[in-house]
Amino acid sequence: MKGNVIKYARDNIDTDVIIPGQYLKVHDYSELALHAMEGLDPDFHSKVKEGDFILSGRNFGCGSSREHAPIALSHSGIKAVLALSFARIFYRNAVDGAFLLPIEIEEDAYSNISEGDEIDIDIHTNEIKNITKNKTYKMKPFSEIIGKIIEAGGLFKYKPD
Amino acid sequence: MGKTLFEKIWDAHIVVEKENSPSLIYIDRHLVHEVTSPQAFDGLRMNNRPVRRPDLTIATMDHNVPTNNRSLPILDQTSAVQIQTLEKNCNDFGIQLFDINSPNQGIVHVIGPQLGITLPGSTIVCGDSHTSTHGAFGALAFGIGTSEVEHVLASQTLWLEKPKPFEINVMGKRKNTHAVTAKDIILSIIKNIGTSGGNGTVIEYRGEGICDLSMEQRMTICNMSIEAGARAGIIAPDEKTFDYLRGRKYTPKNYESLVDYWRDDLKTDSDAKFEKNYTLHINHIAPQVSWGTNPGMTCDVTESIPFPEDFSKGDQNQKKGAEKALEYMALKPGTPITEIKIDRVFIGSCTNARLDDLIEASKVVKGRKLSQHVRAMVVPGSQMVKKQAEELGLDKIFTDANFEWRESGCSMCLGMNPDILSPGERCASTSNRNFEGRQGTGGRTHLVSPVMAAAAAIEGHFVDVREMDLN
Repeated sequence: MKGNVIKYARDNIDTDVIIPGQYLKVHDYSELALHAMEGLDPDFHSKVKEGDFILSGRNFGCGSSREHAPIALSHSGIKAVLALSFARIFYRNAVDGAFLLPIEIEEDAYSNISEGDEIDIDIHTNEIKNITKNKTYKMKPFSEIIGKIIEAGGLFKYKPD
Repeated sequence: MGKTLFEKIWDAHIVVEKENSPSLIYIDRHLVHEVTSPQAFDGLRMNNRPVRRPDLTIATMDHNVPTNNRSLPILDQTSAVQIQTLEKNCNDFGIQLFDINSPNQGIVHVIGPQLGITLPGSTIVCGDSHTSTHGAFGALAFGIGTSEVEHVLASQTLWLEKPKPFEINVMGKRKNTHAVTAKDIILSIIKNIGTSGGNGTVIEYRGEGICDLSMEQRMTICNMSIEAGARAGIIAPDEKTFDYLRGRKYTPKNYESLVDYWRDDLKTDSDAKFEKNYTLHINHIAPQVSWGTNPGMTCDVTESIPFPEDFSKGDQNQKKGAEKALEYMALKPGTPITEIKIDRVFIGSCTNARLDDLIEASKVVKGRKLSQHVRAMVVPGSQMVKKQAEELGLDKIFTDANFEWRESGCSMCLGMNPDILSPGERCASTSNRNFEGRQGTGGRTHLVSPVMAAAAAIEGHFVDVREMDLN
């Protein structure tokens, strides 16, 4: 899975800045996407491209349980969020609805990958290749359940063994 | 080896468990509101599925209901549609709804306990992160997303990874129990362990400082567990818990035999092991005021705005976060908290809109007047709280002081109904989140207790409520 990185070098990106509260009444996902990250980066919508990734620090997606957060990012074209850690509800929402991949990374990937870098994520080998910088980093593997839900294509397609 | 309270409840609700696999957990109560449920009901319709246990599902409307005169139509069309959609969904699927005109309407986390829907030892979910509130009753209660809401509606179960138990001991006694509140205890905890300090855990709050709290105060503590990143917060039930729930609308008929079982069983064994521990001593804690854009950015009312390099203790991300926060909040390091002027006051939300909160705040307000440059709202957490408060004459105390006394709902906690801050406005708020834009685009939120909010409303700036003469 290849794409370019939009980097927010900070911790605690909360769901209120990912999709501010006034848009929780919007049911049209493409309209929701117009307001993704509006609380933090009003230029996000104009710069994001289909297949991009977001890179950020610790506790990404903290706050509200709104599934609108991964939906807004996903319908903006974001395929994965790479972060040092995630808030649990955002993480499960991303996976349950098969909206995007929440990928936990280590400090080296976080500090080394820059805005605009092209990277290639392989969730089978748990490796992230930085094509721009010709470097490789490890990602933390998904736990068993998360891996299975992702493989199934979401919570409702997941069937236990 | 013994088990923690949370582990006992978890084990009692396992439907399917295999080694190294997630567990399928049974859900006893499902609370539903208008914002996170529409897509879940759509999903059921698309797949032609019924709600498996409508009798265990309860709905209300709280997030986008206006808090002014209920006899007027809802002007915001998208809000009106979301509210009508919940009515239709509850009607179609046979779910009990407390609608906007019901005497039981209110914030979902206020009405659950008030109606006796929240019970010790049960599993409770809701498409709302502050579901952790119900842990105050010794329930395992946590917020879920809309896909999980649909899963619970369809199956009354969830696939879950087991969180780790985290013990937080609250030791000592508060010197001034009016001025130093449960809100100050939980803000102190979050300030110390950080907004991700509880990630992946269920926090059990224990110790003398917790046992001394009323049920309503315990709810304030558990409510903000999510702000520390925890999955849930939980407090072992005791006689206060059993007394609170006795005789409520939905309290089960065999209540006393349940109490016998809860009393014996619902506690952490003495030889149980926690993954993590933290201890807070509360003998000397001060009222807290948040200064930044997450609840961990909090200090004592007697302190000054910290310098980012001091706050960050060498962590670059923390330093950058503090700098951005101060820029957003338009605050300078070194400014005493008590010199910060405010424009608005919000007393409300699932954190602090219960009867105890309003009684304590009214003691500060009684016989005084709102500062001339401040607009202040009091928004009871439910219609029942509103009625009880009015019976005590609290509405009169607030309105005599020029505070607005409003109808129940989430109101200005989250900026999705008409109660919002204007850009640049500064608010002393009893809610739970001070994120950028949380109370309206460009709004600046300072989290405080109800008594601190009331005191700031009177003086026009933050004051140490311990120093106010209450006669």
